[in-house]
Amino acid sequence: MSSSTAATTRASASRRDRVDVRATAIGLVAVGVVLVGVYLGSGGLRWFDAALAGYLVGVLLAVFATVYRYLVWLQRPPTACLNRRGWQAFRARGRRGRNAVGLVGEVGTNLLAQGFIRRRSTTRWAAHQLVFWGCLLAAAVTFPLTFGWVHFRSVGQDGSHYRAYLFGVGSGTFDATSVVGFTIFHLLNIAAVLVIAGVAVFLYRRLRDPGALAVERSGDFLALAGLFAVSITGMFLTASSMWLDGQYYSFLNNLHALTVILGLLYIPFGKLFHIFQRPANIGVHFYKSAGAEGPQQQCRRCGEPFASALQIGDLEAVLPQLGFDYGDGAGGNYQETCPRCRRNLVTLAQSARVGGFG
Amino acid sequence: MTVTSPLSAHLVSDQVFVIDQSRCIGCEACVQACEECGTHRGTSLIHLEFVDRTTSTQTAPQVCMHCQDPTCAEVCPADAIKQNEDGVVQSSLKPRCIGCSNCVLACPFGVPKYFALPDQMMKCDMCYDRSSAGLKPMCASVCPSQALWFGTPEEFAATRRGELLFEFRFGNQVVPTKVATVVDRADDGPLDVLGDPGGFRWQDDPFGLAGVV
Repeated sequence: MSSSTAATTRASASRRDRVDVRATAIGLVAVGVVLVGVYLGSGGLRWFDAALAGYLVGVLLAVFATVYRYLVWLQRPPTACLNRRGWQAFRARGRRGRNAVGLVGEVGTNLLAQGFIRRRSTTRWAAHQLVFWGCLLAAAVTFPLTFGWVHFRSVGQDGSHYRAYLFGVGSGTFDATSVVGFTIFHLLNIAAVLVIAGVAVFLYRRLRDPGALAVERSGDFLALAGLFAVSITGMFLTASSMWLDGQYYSFLNNLHALTVILGLLYIPFGKLFHIFQRPANIGVHFYKSAGAEGPQQQCRRCGEPFASALQIGDLEAVLPQLGFDYGDGAGGNYQETCPRCRRNLVTLAQSARVGGFG
Repeated sequence: MTVTSPLSAHLVSDQVFVIDQSRCIGCEACVQACEECGTHRGTSLIHLEFVDRTTSTQTAPQVCMHCQDPTCAEVCPADAIKQNEDGVVQSSLKPRCIGCSNCVLACPFGVPKYFALPDQMMKCDMCYDRSSAGLKPMCASVCPSQALWFGTPEEFAATRRGELLFEFRFGNQVVPTKVATVVDRADDGPLDVLGDPGGFRWQDDPFGLAGVV
């Protein structure tokens, strides 16, 4: 390692150790926005359910930490470059309409249907879809409830009918014992079943696939354990109220709240942070198509085009920020060599040091 | 200034992975065996190609050299490439890789491969399921000419010519690696990839007659 690389590594290490003031400020603003949203959406806390206050604290901590980590992540030189370029490409004059339509398609096929996972493995895709939609469904139910945006009131005297209110505006009345009522009251159980099914498939693969076992990291299991714990403790609550006359409910309620809050806190720090990183893939697609339409980089050895000049130029700008210097000492840059020629150059240099090949 | 790390830093399960490109005969056994690797079954990640088909039979094999400070991981905008505690640089983390190809283009050895359908990069991970358990990587287990070799440094010294070298120079950049290449004299410094190859090639004077005739 060159001394300059070592110095840069040290510099970036000390930068990592400091608290980032800007990210902290924006994280706090995000927390403030959620709090204002809670206050306004719950009719000045009239519909806010105090029993769910613990969950709200968990959400606020998770929001702060997620925003903080995201902003710090965006500061890494290659991430900052890609973020800038992705938006530039998206907003480029003459391409905005096409890009906006493309964005909708990308969100559908890429972020929601996750076709890129299916092309890798159908089983994996099915498991991921189960966990994904299970979590989305659970979030769609619990977040509005926690924020006091949605609440239920019984209609009539016998408690058989309920009406759901969104931001204090009433919707249709439903019979608690009907299929609709059963489904509404069991949405979280449905979500839990989806998540547990997905977790089971993931776990089966993790425990059986020798390749997966070899490259496993502890976080892979932690994420699955967390998803399972949140789902199963949530279903315990239903089991208690439906079949045990509410026995242990208070304990189970605390247990569930604890797993959910720990789960929320795990999101910004653990494997699940990829939820927020993945959308950058769409930016990459805009970046790549902008690069493909622009000039191409020709290899300095074989002369063939091998990448967009845009991306090679970006790499040449980013690499020195990371402590690398691939300059050739004569004004050129090794990065302008195509990968195939790089491999050939290594082989030629090596065989010269052993008296030729063969 | 270059930092020469102790030999122990280059070992996996007490063994060292060695690539001697000059011994490659281009048989492609490694290309087939690579597909059998448990961590990326069905996909071959090793590179093997002719250097210049029209003038030479020389072939260039390339596995990941597992750089001590991996350029691929540093240029990754998604933090998707991780280095294990033992220094092995893993393939991209599937949930993280966003398919930008920064690593493909920045790797000085030209190792990572981008796959369009899953929209992600995959690279050689030294068959981590095998090498971490003391087994040879798939390619080294089938290479008939020992261009790809995995064993203890003592075995190497007892059975092979040349010395192990763990440093490469690309212009101004010196890149120390975990995987070794083989040179006649390691004391001559890092393998200078962009430098004048120089040296004596046996093909230029196969019978050693230059000084005689």
